[in-house]
Amino acid sequence: MAKVAIIGAGFAGQTAALYLGDALGAEHEITVINRLKDFSYVPSWVWVGIGRMPVEKTTFPLEPVYRKFGVRFVHGRATQVRVDERAVVVERDGGGTTTVAYDHLIIATGPRLDFEGTVGLGPEGGFSQSICTGPHAVRTRDSYLEQVARMEKGERRRFVIGTGHPGATCQGAAFEYITNVHKDLVRRGVRDKADLLWLSNEQALGDFGVRGVSVRRKGSVLSSEEFIAAVFKDYGIASRVKTGVLGLTEDTIAWEDFEGRRGETGFDFSMLIPRFLGQPLAFVDKDGGDVSADILAPNGLVKVDAKYGLPYDELSRQPDAWPSVYQNPAHPEIFAAGIAFAPPGPISVPHTTPNGTAIAAAPPRTGMVSGIIGRVVALNIIDLIKMGTMTHGERMTEMYAACIASMGDSLWDGSAAVIMIYPVVPDILKYPNGQGRDLFVTHMEMGLAGAWMKRMIQTTFMHKLRGRPGWQFIPE
Amino acid sequence: MQITDRDRFWMNNKVFQFFRFVVLNLKILKGVDASKRA
Repeated sequence: MAKVAIIGAGFAGQTAALYLGDALGAEHEITVINRLKDFSYVPSWVWVGIGRMPVEKTTFPLEPVYRKFGVRFVHGRATQVRVDERAVVVERDGGGTTTVAYDHLIIATGPRLDFEGTVGLGPEGGFSQSICTGPHAVRTRDSYLEQVARMEKGERRRFVIGTGHPGATCQGAAFEYITNVHKDLVRRGVRDKADLLWLSNEQALGDFGVRGVSVRRKGSVLSSEEFIAAVFKDYGIASRVKTGVLGLTEDTIAWEDFEGRRGETGFDFSMLIPRFLGQPLAFVDKDGGDVSADILAPNGLVKVDAKYGLPYDELSRQPDAWPSVYQNPAHPEIFAAGIAFAPPGPISVPHTTPNGTAIAAAPPRTGMVSGIIGRVVALNIIDLIKMGTMTHGERMTEMYAACIASMGDSLWDGSAAVIMIYPVVPDILKYPNGQGRDLFVTHMEMGLAGAWMKRMIQTTFMHKLRGRPGWQFIPE
Repeated sequence: MQITDRDRFWMNNKVFQFFRFVVLNLKILKGVDASKRA
């Protein structure tokens, strides 16, 4: 009997658990270790953060799903991996420690939110809000509604939304939040009392950490930069890109831009996404020696079958530098999926300011990308157990992703930007059109249909990730 | 690019948007198919 352990039950971990449980649950031991007892549908927290959706609507309990699939659930925090003994040490939620043995291990922990990386950032001990966890989104909602109440009394308020570190990622979530804030303020009749500023480390508007998107439109090529600039102009949102946040005080954000200029921006409410690092997880050998350097990149993310250390120009010309099977080379029994794997470098062009500050949007790994990687890893582990060899692989340079950025949740007059990109990481060898992407598949549009798509995707993903009938037929 | 009143009309026209909803779903399925999905 083979033993598979999965650390984390987000998009990647939960997808892997379903595929593994479905194929192997009856005969083999599949164990999921997660510090929360519920699955959280992170993309809907933009709506929680403006009070348009209760956080309870974005979660469901994991254990009943696993019971159906013959998967064991350990509720606790994985703290250590004993690589020689092949065991994960878990601090159980109710107290005490347990170990989970494995023949194959999937690390799908998601990120550690590095609020400490920026002085004054974050809701706990800092001055900014976040929508990166359920409790943070609830806190953001309360702070946001306080601002609304003050605007209803006639006060003018300044909102700054974007990224809170020069190396942050996940600009898409912040974009969704600022456009939803705009729509909500319009709905509440106080939009004229608010100044909205987009503050981001992207090299251009609409970059989103994927080097932007270009699509064919009415016989010409339309870039995401033009698209988002038009949206912001229409919504009256000011923007400052090419800017890394250096620190926050109670009402001021200090920043540095690409040219090395430093400045400050005042705010009454800010929601800034932190840098993402790997979760703290120690890797030790049989003698108790720390072997983390074999497994983790300096940012704490898990090294996989990528080519690390290539200069950006070289990386952008080598599509096969991106990992295919997400397997750690030093310990082939360890895989990483979702945000937990270390990308070989940025997708967007990195920049260093004259002061030496690196401003580089890190590669985003959305729910769809994480789910696809979770599926690839699970199918390969099934292969290894059944046949002894892996037959699946999907690099981000071969991967299709659809991103639906909500810009108002209403099903009557809401909107969303629907962005489909193929491949996620440009492949300039396969698509030598200057974009590195298939312009017949890559697509971008905005409208009410997007709001319907966003709601439909939440419903279908929750259905899939609950393992309900037909889950296998719903694409990640 | 500029969002015009005409764009706004079509972006919220329910019949046209239902058509786009169907098209977008088909495009996603086509994209998933184009992806390697090994």
